[in-house]
Amino acid sequence: MRRQIALFLFIAACLLVAPARAQEGHPLKGSWIGTWGPSKVHSNDLLVIMSWDGKAVSGTINPGTDDIPLKNATLNPEGWVVHFEGEAKDKAGPINYVFDGKIEGLAFHNRSISGTWKSNRESGQFKIQRQ
Amino acid sequence: MKFIAISTLALLLLAGAPAAAHHAISAKFDDKKPMTLSGVVTLVDWRNPHAHIFVNVKDPKGTGVLNWAVELESPIDLQEGGWNRDIVKPGDSVTVKGIVARDGSRQVWGESVVLSATGRRVLNVTTTPPPPPLQARPVPRWPDKQPRLGPITGGAQGYWGYPSSTVMMEANTNIKMDPWGLLANIADAPKVAPMQPWALALYRNRQSRFLQDDPTYLNCKPPGGPRQFQLRYGVQFVEDRERQRIFVLIGGGNSNYRIIYTDGRTHAGQVGGDDDNPLYYGRAVAKWEGDTLAVDTRGFNEDFWFTNGGLPHTEQLKLLERFTRTDFDTLKYEVTIDDPGAYTRSWSSGWTLRWIANEELPRHLCQENRP
Repeated sequence: MRRQIALFLFIAACLLVAPARAQEGHPLKGSWIGTWGPSKVHSNDLLVIMSWDGKAVSGTINPGTDDIPLKNATLNPEGWVVHFEGEAKDKAGPINYVFDGKIEGLAFHNRSISGTWKSNRESGQFKIQRQ
Repeated sequence: MKFIAISTLALLLLAGAPAAAHHAISAKFDDKKPMTLSGVVTLVDWRNPHAHIFVNVKDPKGTGVLNWAVELESPIDLQEGGWNRDIVKPGDSVTVKGIVARDGSRQVWGESVVLSATGRRVLNVTTTPPPPPLQARPVPRWPDKQPRLGPITGGAQGYWGYPSSTVMMEANTNIKMDPWGLLANIADAPKVAPMQPWALALYRNRQSRFLQDDPTYLNCKPPGGPRQFQLRYGVQFVEDRERQRIFVLIGGGNSNYRIIYTDGRTHAGQVGGDDDNPLYYGRAVAKWEGDTLAVDTRGFNEDFWFTNGGLPHTEQLKLLERFTRTDFDTLKYEVTIDDPGAYTRSWSSGWTLRWIANEELPRHLCQENRP
């Protein structure tokens, strides 16, 4: 147990001193981590990976076995408005997610996107921060 | 004792300020807010990237004193101007004219420092280039007649500096900027280069923040791309013919360097580096085309600004650079920027550098958490 705690503390310390990658290119490119949910006290983790090929934004929501490919992802530089969608599926049928947000702290490496999301079943707010 | 406490407090305040290093003056100081201070020097802090003197000034609202930090040029520039750390000493009375910090802290950019006892102006720096040689000298060459770009062992020593332009814009455009690339009129932003809408908006954002987010100064990130040839303190080519490579030592880039391979290799393999080895200077391969060294560089990361003034780039950036030593004292630099991630088409720019004879490349060290 003591070794596990020591290992955890070591990893935590490494993460704390790891230099932040600036990412001065396309503002959406990178890994974004945060939460989404119907409310702040009832929310789930959200991980969005985005890239830019010069013409379009692509990426994945929550990479893994149940990942959701990004669809119709756009960035409007006027106000740094972000839009992306995703199609998922569960036992009850298809779920169509739509996210609309805005980049905050554009100049900083840990910029964030916050806004609202909705699906054909529920809706709420989200906030993700670039890692 | 009070002096030590005030000086220590001032140093702590500076240490806690956002890191910047040999930054654009306008990034930190407001040229529309001039200020004159008269007081007694408490400390001289002679360190990179900027020297500071601290001055106790009578508090206009009370009976005490306020300690102001006066920021000056780098010790390299000050020493080249003939000054040393002893020209001003604690206890000296001075009058400082300058401009104040945008963030409201007690910091001023010292445009003029005058010793009250003698009326002598001190610690001023001029950066005008030396006059060009009266007669063009021939290009130095290797025995096989290939032009030499660097110093010659046992012969001509020196490096390249004083770029004819310290800002980059598309060739045949003439847009007014300050030496750090800050536009005189932000409405000119679209004329600088053929940027995609997001890149133009980001460029405007950086300009509107007076370039204060420049990672080269904020986090000591290397000045990759054409920028390395537009910084103060110049560059030096070291030609390693035996191994068919050229080192480009960068005076203004925290003493780091770039390698240009001339051994015929191509852009194959892991060109772009990875998270453990992000390539700030890209991967450069070159060949000689007559008297011109043609360099093809790609594989850049996106963690830096590749120009003064903050033009954006992406990992898709490819540079075609051409170096021609047109005479002994002149190096012509031409660059074509091909980055479909940030620009709507490829575009070109160029300038010249001057040979600075019989001098070593300055050793400028960017230090994080030093203003």
